[in-house]
Amino acid sequence: MTIQDINSPPGATGGLSRTRFFLSNEFGLILLIIVFAVIFGLSARGFLSPFNLFTLGRNSAINIMIGLSMMTVIVTGGLNLAVGAMGVSAAMVCGWLIEGLGVPWPLAILGGLAFGAALGFINGWMVVRTGLHSFIITLATMSIFFGAMIFLTRAEAFRDLPAAFSAFGKMKFANYLSPLLLVTLAVAVALAWLYRATLTGREMLAAGASPAAAELSGIRVDRMVILCHMLSGGLAGLAALMLVARNGAAIPSMAGQLGQDWLLPAFLGPVLGGTLLQGGKVSVLGTVLGAFLVTMLSSGLLMLQVGAFWVQTFLGLMLLVAVLLDKARRSYLARRNLA
Amino acid sequence: MTRHIQAIAMAAVLGTSAISAAQAAEDSLFALIPGGPHPYFSAWEQAGADAARDFGLAGAEYKVPQKWELAQQNQLLESLLSQGYNGFLIFPGDPVGAVSTAEELSSYGAQIIAGAGCYKDPSPAAFCLGTDTGNSAYIGTKELIKAMGDGEKRIAHFTGFLVDPNTQLRIDAVQRAADEEGATVVQVIADIDAPEPAEEKINAYLAAHADEVDGIVTTAWVPAVVAANALRKMGDSGIKMVGIDHDEVLIQAIKDGIVDGTMLQNPYGQGYIGSFALDRLRSGCTVKEDAPFGSNALTDKFIDSGTSYVDASNADSYLEAMRAETEKLLADFESTYLSCS
Repeated sequence: MTIQDINSPPGATGGLSRTRFFLSNEFGLILLIIVFAVIFGLSARGFLSPFNLFTLGRNSAINIMIGLSMMTVIVTGGLNLAVGAMGVSAAMVCGWLIEGLGVPWPLAILGGLAFGAALGFINGWMVVRTGLHSFIITLATMSIFFGAMIFLTRAEAFRDLPAAFSAFGKMKFANYLSPLLLVTLAVAVALAWLYRATLTGREMLAAGASPAAAELSGIRVDRMVILCHMLSGGLAGLAALMLVARNGAAIPSMAGQLGQDWLLPAFLGPVLGGTLLQGGKVSVLGTVLGAFLVTMLSSGLLMLQVGAFWVQTFLGLMLLVAVLLDKARRSYLARRNLA
Repeated sequence: MTRHIQAIAMAAVLGTSAISAAQAAEDSLFALIPGGPHPYFSAWEQAGADAARDFGLAGAEYKVPQKWELAQQNQLLESLLSQGYNGFLIFPGDPVGAVSTAEELSSYGAQIIAGAGCYKDPSPAAFCLGTDTGNSAYIGTKELIKAMGDGEKRIAHFTGFLVDPNTQLRIDAVQRAADEEGATVVQVIADIDAPEPAEEKINAYLAAHADEVDGIVTTAWVPAVVAANALRKMGDSGIKMVGIDHDEVLIQAIKDGIVDGTMLQNPYGQGYIGSFALDRLRSGCTVKEDAPFGSNALTDKFIDSGTSYVDASNADSYLEAMRAETEKLLADFESTYLSCS
């Protein structure tokens, strides 16, 4: 499910493909997930209990969606530091539409998602128009979006949402499975299809890999950058709405101050999954696996009673190690002419 | 013969009840969960340990979410339920947003009590055991005005997080007490219950406006400590102050005559009595329909965990004051609020 797979030379041998798969991030992540699942299953009391598996799935669903939101911008070689601020703003708009204007909740959800996409448009348009790196633009809009949201809502949560919201967040299939996870997996499949099977998706990747070459090929790079940011805003909004379903309320602080609490999960998923920070290569499966691994580690470490304050340290270390391993992997592939 | 059978049956029933109560205690594994790291809640750790020892619980452990954030608290609660914890004393990270998780815990048979802050009704919490924050702020302001004596009475109020539902109650109570006594609240600075914003805003305010203030009332832990330190540095400013809680810095400032007094809350009692009540609820007790609960903006099942004013005359014995509040409440807690047949 990576662009690398898509561009495999037709004559590539099965042996080379297998070698490349075993060296891929996805394989490494699957291995790590299995290893840690066994460790936690054996050593952490209750790790394999139905309730923990259910909450693991539900928390993963939100973290994966946050990772996918960041991934769609990383594809262009950019970053979206405003992912949390955009998500919370979109959720608050949804809450306001329901409570303030009495809009039916399905329409309000669409309104929230559209608002997230609109914030993404602002980011993308500013990146394109100014020529500045999206790091700078989204650093600024993170404060602007969040500050405006706090000013307009007076930091008040929307708490009288329809019961259907929280019922969906608590719903269980077969006692284990959260429907939120199904939503996330459906979005992941749609994104994989976008990048693999559609012209727009391939143009997004091409624009990220080499903007100049893409421009010469007739791809409207500016439009692709804006589109990627809009996609990111919509997905951030969806992640926040899933969190609203989980809490039963739209709360301004649900992504922390300025939405910064989402940044670590936003980067961990795509980076662990093998999405290149330089752009042009994406791994939806890797992002899903990376975010799931991170969520599982958080859950397992908490259950092992590792001091809660060490969990963040451990996750930060994981991010660093993943980047270094990826660098080593790419060097190895380059030396063997496998890349 | 029938009488013998009845006697044996009665003995069996009583024996079974006693055994099940004992088992409830032995199996009772509780977690005391604040909204995030904050010195106010540190007394819950000792309270839980004491309750576990005194009531024979399997454990009553103080667990702190790594950040003051609802998602972190939810994750911690979920993991603890999976590990077999079956009772929770919780400061809700959000009065409404936290209800969803509480309902999930409850659906797995866990007992829940809100501590120090309340859930918004309806919630699965048996009741809310906390400080009557409005009353505490009201009494504290009255004491401050008394200490200010005659003359102008201009009060600055330093308080806690705006997202804390208690904060608005405190702001309103201080205003009400000031209005009743002909004093003026010249400034309210909120959202400063953390060292950095408290240091920045209180010091800046006092540097610019110290001569426009006659008294300070603080209704959150960190602002109380920072304001006490600021007054100590300022020397003889003539500003009177009543703080809140029992940080050592504040108590020492009272002993040194820099601060006039503090409104004690009872976090130890919340942790201790909360653990006791969780155990009784697990043993089969239920909350009385006609229990004399108080009410506040969030719930109609509120129990005041006690508050008392400490000044220089009793600053050395404030721990006894806290224990006395706990003992007073515990003495008839079961008969007042619970029905244990």
